[in-house]
Amino acid sequence: MKIFRELNKELKEKREGSYTPYYYRYLGYKKDLAARPADLRANGIHSLFTATTPVILKNELIAGNRLSLFTNNINPVVLEYAKNTVDRFRERWFETCRDHFAPDYRRILSLGIPGFINEIDASLLRHRNDGEKCETLRSMRLTLVGFSEMIGNYISAAEKSLTDKEYNKERLEGIINTGRALLKGKPSSFKEALQLVWYCHNAFLMEERYAMALGRLDQYLYPFYKNDTEKGLITDDEVTELLENIFIRLQDDVVNICIGGQNVRGECEINGLSLCILRAVGNCNVPGPNLSLRLTKNTPDEFLDECLKVIGTGLGYPAIMNDDINIAALKKYGYDEEDVYDYCMVGCIENFISGKQPPWSDSIFNTPGFLDFVFNDGISETGHTVGINTGRLESIKTMDDFMHAYERQLEYGADEYYSRINSASDSLNQKYIPDPFMSCFCYDCIGRGLDIHNGGAKYPSVHGAVTMGIGTVSDSLAAIEKVVFIDKEATLEEFRDALNSNFEGYEVLREKLLAAPKYGNNDDFVDKYAVWFIDYLSSLFEKYHTYDGGRFYIAAAANINNIYSGSVTNATPDGRKRGEPLSDAASPGYGRDTKGPTSTVNSVSKPDYTKVACGTVVNQKYSPEMFSDEKRGKLLAIIRTLFKKGGQEIQINATSREILKKAMDEPENYSDLVVRVSGFSAFYVTLDRAVQLDILNRTQHE
Amino acid sequence: MIINISKIQHFSVGDGDGIRTTVFFKGCNLRCPWCHNPENLTSSPCSMACPGKPGKEILGKYVFPGEILSELLEDKDFYEASGGGITFSGGEVMLQADGAAELGRLLKNEGVSVTIDTAGSIPYTEFEKLNTFVDEYLYDIKTADSEKYRSIGGNLSLVTDNLSRLIRDSKSVRVRIPLIPGFNTDIPSINSVGKLLSSLKITDADLIPFHRLGSSKYEALGLEYRYRDTEPLSSDELGIIEKEYSKYMKIKVEK
Repeated sequence: MKIFRELNKELKEKREGSYTPYYYRYLGYKKDLAARPADLRANGIHSLFTATTPVILKNELIAGNRLSLFTNNINPVVLEYAKNTVDRFRERWFETCRDHFAPDYRRILSLGIPGFINEIDASLLRHRNDGEKCETLRSMRLTLVGFSEMIGNYISAAEKSLTDKEYNKERLEGIINTGRALLKGKPSSFKEALQLVWYCHNAFLMEERYAMALGRLDQYLYPFYKNDTEKGLITDDEVTELLENIFIRLQDDVVNICIGGQNVRGECEINGLSLCILRAVGNCNVPGPNLSLRLTKNTPDEFLDECLKVIGTGLGYPAIMNDDINIAALKKYGYDEEDVYDYCMVGCIENFISGKQPPWSDSIFNTPGFLDFVFNDGISETGHTVGINTGRLESIKTMDDFMHAYERQLEYGADEYYSRINSASDSLNQKYIPDPFMSCFCYDCIGRGLDIHNGGAKYPSVHGAVTMGIGTVSDSLAAIEKVVFIDKEATLEEFRDALNSNFEGYEVLREKLLAAPKYGNNDDFVDKYAVWFIDYLSSLFEKYHTYDGGRFYIAAAANINNIYSGSVTNATPDGRKRGEPLSDAASPGYGRDTKGPTSTVNSVSKPDYTKVACGTVVNQKYSPEMFSDEKRGKLLAIIRTLFKKGGQEIQINATSREILKKAMDEPENYSDLVVRVSGFSAFYVTLDRAVQLDILNRTQHE
Repeated sequence: MIINISKIQHFSVGDGDGIRTTVFFKGCNLRCPWCHNPENLTSSPCSMACPGKPGKEILGKYVFPGEILSELLEDKDFYEASGGGITFSGGEVMLQADGAAELGRLLKNEGVSVTIDTAGSIPYTEFEKLNTFVDEYLYDIKTADSEKYRSIGGNLSLVTDNLSRLIRDSKSVRVRIPLIPGFNTDIPSINSVGKLLSSLKITDADLIPFHRLGSSKYEALGLEYRYRDTEPLSSDELGIIEKEYSKYMKIKVEK
């Protein structure tokens, strides 16, 4: 049995006690509860890293886990008090830049931990007359010292286990020697480099961060891989085994790993390590390592074919990104060229300037929901929300009038959205919740002596407005144009009544709406609204800035929020009933792209995605036969053609409807079935029934 | 020249190389009882009730080749990326050779490759109208027994004659053998087909196993399907058939 499978078993063993990271943080806080914010946080993190003895698992080739954060036999009164104390010092949350961050691993690999500490010391010297900066730098330094001590504790734990016959001596010695090298200087081998990255990632997990990306793993580890493989110090199989040993631990998380991409000269950067990463992700076959391929025109077809083989196992990874489009989109925001070309993704698909901007945030912009305001004088009974009154329906005489009213609703909605996001950031004093450890991994916090949230990052924070329902909106507008203004078969007042009664008594009208052209069939009559959707919404959000002066991007992705947003959205003019899911991400509505995947691609490639800097998601599902050696080339041609036509992203599920249906009926037999959900993969049987149905209903091609 | 078609299907992945769009021609001169496209048997329009959808769909319309050209070219980028193109299928395309030739000429002008799926029981003069515009024929051989051919409305000597003339005229031909339980899957039938094809210097053939995916169409059309209860071939049976055919030529089993 492969080592990672054994490790997986070990990880799943039941533990005594309860998981209480807050308790260890509390031990640090209580050293000086009156300390200034940066010192207080640093004390907490230092304690989190060092107050407990690390655990080494028998099948760890690379050390680092969170099992040491369990507590046993601590008085419950103390635990409760510890929790209350820690909670009093608020933490950031997703909308206020807590996680979804790709740390600057390239830099720590080139300097090592001691080098990082030296940099801090140099910066302290430069800023010695600035008390606040010194405080920030000292807090960063303390977390790195704690981080080093933790590695020392791993070494001691491994040394202790040497006498335990259940442990493999060679593995333990590997952990000891690697650890010692990392404490002394910068990593010099692939294994040392990977171990350092994993110690860092695990430290972020100990801080309870989620969706921390590994970023361009095949690029920043490549010099080590190249050196070791060229000298014959390590084989590709051994590299893959080491990678499996960390990927298997990424379950219950969305850890984006990016492979491929082009450099400033336009050269494709796929290398031998990219293939090892792809294989390791495929072998582990768990959700969590969210693999993304930056596909360039000159990425070899052979590599793309290898990716399709992995996707064909049902895993859904990697998601495939159009590198040219993403680069063109990011270039509009004034980043330095070399930083644009070094972008990666965080979370599901969100584009991110690796290690040079604060963590990502985004939120839902329910575009179809605003239609309800046009019909109902600015009040949505279903959504319990209020827009503006854009006038009486009788005054809308043309489709242009309707679009004008809808655009005014969206404009108001964008202002409201902006105020919601910014009031969340403004509610935090940016200096009050510093992140000293994470700041070490964001250029140029150390050099500037500033926290990541307080001007330390090279670029300010960006926010993504995730626009829902491009399919629902396009289909709705096309239905209004066709039925009201061209065929004149119903009035807008009848539309309103039909929508408000959820089509009860309006079945005939609903048939007409369903028969109107639908997005995804390469019909310009409706596709023009998808083009408008991206153009209009991207321009709408251009004017806003985040708390530290960064920009608002838009995304055409839904995660699974098209289901939630649909549940609070009235019936829509495309014939969708109240409460039903909206169209998913940038895909057409469910089952409405009836002409097959080529027509879907022809439609979804029409909008200008260089205006969607955050990213899009186009989901397609194919039956497993399409992944056979004979037919896989056709999928490759679909992807290449989508990207040639300007599509931004595609992700593919390879599970037949029959299997999904069976898994719903007999979850116990399908506990390991992984499916692509939206920007991430998950175990199918763990998903809500609504989400399961949603995946089942996505159009399945062939 | 007007053509009678039932459907244009994008992303056809079973009929020929790459990503293809298939134009289904309506009307057929054979009556194979296992046929999985029964809507294309007659040339007159027929109405089909689709499960889950209200009303009936009318299949069959007369169009000018130029009218459907733009739809066929929608996927041109996919044809180029995958080595695909357009497939004319049916029904029997060759019954509408003049119209098919005009459509073929239009596609040829656009640089799109054309494949024709035919049962071949048509005078060769019809093939000659199309040969210039066709890159490949998918050519059905259903049996080597002339009586059996006659029972489904076909003419074995015409079929074999056309096949050898296509080869003589240097046309690319891919022979396809439908595997129909009880009709042509017994060992003697296989051997006689094998021998016949060998005598025509055919070195490759595709085997197309019987499936019942068309049975719901019979229901929707209000027709009786004589093969409704016929079980598809098991993988063991398929293995035996493939082995037997492999004595004569290189075999690929379509899945």
